[in-house]
Amino acid sequence: MPELTAGRLRRGLTEPFLPVAALSLLAVAAAALDATVLCWASVGALAGFALSGSV
Amino acid sequence: MLFSPGWRAPIRQGEVLAVFTLGLLAGGTLSAAVVWLLSGLTEPVPAPARAASIIGIAALAVARETGLLPIPLPQNARQIAPEVLQTRLRRGSLQFGFELGTGVRTYVSASTPYVLALGLLLAHRSLATTLLTGAAFGAGRALSAALTYLARDEHRDAAIAARMPHTKTTTAIATLIALSLLLT
Repeated sequence: MPELTAGRLRRGLTEPFLPVAALSLLAVAAAALDATVLCWASVGALAGFALSGSV
Repeated sequence: MLFSPGWRAPIRQGEVLAVFTLGLLAGGTLSAAVVWLLSGLTEPVPAPARAASIIGIAALAVARETGLLPIPLPQNARQIAPEVLQTRLRRGSLQFGFELGTGVRTYVSASTPYVLALGLLLAHRSLATTLLTGAAFGAGRALSAALTYLARDEHRDAAIAARMPHTKTTTAIATLIALSLLLT
């Protein structure tokens, strides 16, 4: 099993796809619970994050 | 571009990120305010028709991101002038963030921001919800910059570029599912 170093942990926590997965789950869960404001806010954050690397 | 070392050393990068984030939040909120003002015009359209339109637009975005439909979308096809960061770094970062946050001053490389703008336009939610969503758009852009700052990875641009196709597709699909659940 590879040793968990600070560098590996940092890379894992800053993985660019992680926010996409988390915000997608949040948006869908909020919609399923009829949490309108949270759902729109999650979709907003997703839309902003989808422009990563674009300046 | 924002966090390159060297001449920016006198100002801490964390401070640059904070000011940049503030600009992004302000820019996103301003765009949302404009969308909210315009959204009043769509109110006479029956709510079910507006909901169906939003879901249809979100489905088109999925088709576009998956390559099924090559839909050209309008965008301000230019980069924000790098000169804004070369004179006064704090003020420049704020301006740079603000322009990025509005979403209309530079390239838009994904479909979801269009779904968001048209969705808010057609949904005509309360002013507070719309402004919060606009600020969340700015926060989403800021999150990307914050992770780049925290990653301390000189190959970060390549890592982001490698995930972009999946990021754009997943984002479009999640938006379609979420808005379909919310509006039906």
